[in-house]
Amino acid sequence: MKLKLVYSFCFVMLASIAFSQDCEQIARDCSKYLEGKAGENKFISDGQVYTAFLDREKTEIKTTLYGGSTYRIAASAGRKENYVIFTVKDSEGNILFTNRKYKNAPYWDFEVANTIQVLVETELDVDFKNTGCAVILIGFKQ
Amino acid sequence: MRKIFNYLVPTVLVLGTLTSCSGDGDGKEIDSDIKDSSKTLMTNFDIKVFSIPSPIQTSMLINQLNLPFYSDILNDPEKVSGYSTKSTQALNLGVYGTDLGYSALYNESSYSLKYLSAVQKLSEKLGLSGAFDKSFMKRFEGHLSNQDTLMTLISDAFMQGDMFLKNDNRKFDAALILAGGWIESMHISSEINIKKATTRIVERIGEQQWTLVSTIDLLSECNANGVNDELIGDLEDLQFYFDKIESKYTYVEPTTDIEDKTTMLNHKLEIKIDTDILNQISMKIRSIREKITN
Repeated sequence: MKLKLVYSFCFVMLASIAFSQDCEQIARDCSKYLEGKAGENKFISDGQVYTAFLDREKTEIKTTLYGGSTYRIAASAGRKENYVIFTVKDSEGNILFTNRKYKNAPYWDFEVANTIQVLVETELDVDFKNTGCAVILIGFKQ
Repeated sequence: MRKIFNYLVPTVLVLGTLTSCSGDGDGKEIDSDIKDSSKTLMTNFDIKVFSIPSPIQTSMLINQLNLPFYSDILNDPEKVSGYSTKSTQALNLGVYGTDLGYSALYNESSYSLKYLSAVQKLSEKLGLSGAFDKSFMKRFEGHLSNQDTLMTLISDAFMQGDMFLKNDNRKFDAALILAGGWIESMHISSEINIKKATTRIVERIGEQQWTLVSTIDLLSECNANGVNDELIGDLEDLQFYFDKIESKYTYVEPTTDIEDKTTMLNHKLEIKIDTDILNQISMKIRSIREKITN
């Protein structure tokens, strides 16, 4: 019984470390999407890393995009670029963008003339990945 | 099968702890779905993620309006040694980080270096020295006259710190850093607006109504043993005034350039703030900011 408990504990610790490292690596990879085109300034991160352990549900990020800025939303859930579907909606629920229409593009830019409150819904594309850590990053240029 | 179950249940519980806001033993109830093995074991966490826009963006707006640099409205970097609790350290790391961004944007190198030193001291106390280490200092000092690079360096360092805290199950500290940064950004905007009223700054203050709600929600989620009660109460008082701001949003269909991977958001937004309300907001912000920096 004691041995079982020790095994369980070790398994749990290893699993939790693996999850944390997995997320960290995904975040590092995802941050490369904020670099922008060659010769252009990098998108400046908003200083936050949005992570979620996703299964078949969606995670929601509510944020404000300021007028007069260009934003980049980048998403990753691992090695391949097309694991994550993200959809940007306004406060009335209108869909402003979804990368689902563009082969789950891992990043997209948004030119914002007037400030707006948006909801970024994130989910894994179950055709490619069922479960795991998903990372979203938001960068801006002014 | 039973063996697998024995391993999976605790694994899921630990993963849940890792991704929830429990760094301080707040004794949150575990969702019944997780306890119930007949339902999905891989239950989700962090379904709602709170986001606070970077305070650097408001400093950039102020800088673009060609307003002078006001050092007197910033927090005194000498006060850094007086912040002895984890909460005040985290809040003021956000405050000093915002002051650092504001000074760096104005090319005020002597101030930038003082704020950088304050940021470094607090990040060390919070166990975040990896984000503002010697190599960061060297890169920062090497780009003192290049604002774009400095903004990227500061933001990346805060992002690294945020990731570290979240991985270390310290979302509580991460939330306070964000709240401190937002409050300082509001303080800078409203104090500058008192010195020199500008329509764009008034609008930017009005645009904070949604971020204020997110800040309250974020702090409430990380409110172990009611430690944030006073700050949340103050922010709720502030929300009373923000609720009086009139804003009218009109949806207009966005346009997308597929080749450029860019979508233009074409909506309209009108914000109207009564002068009395603006004054009340400024006074309340000043009082909240005084509480966290003194």
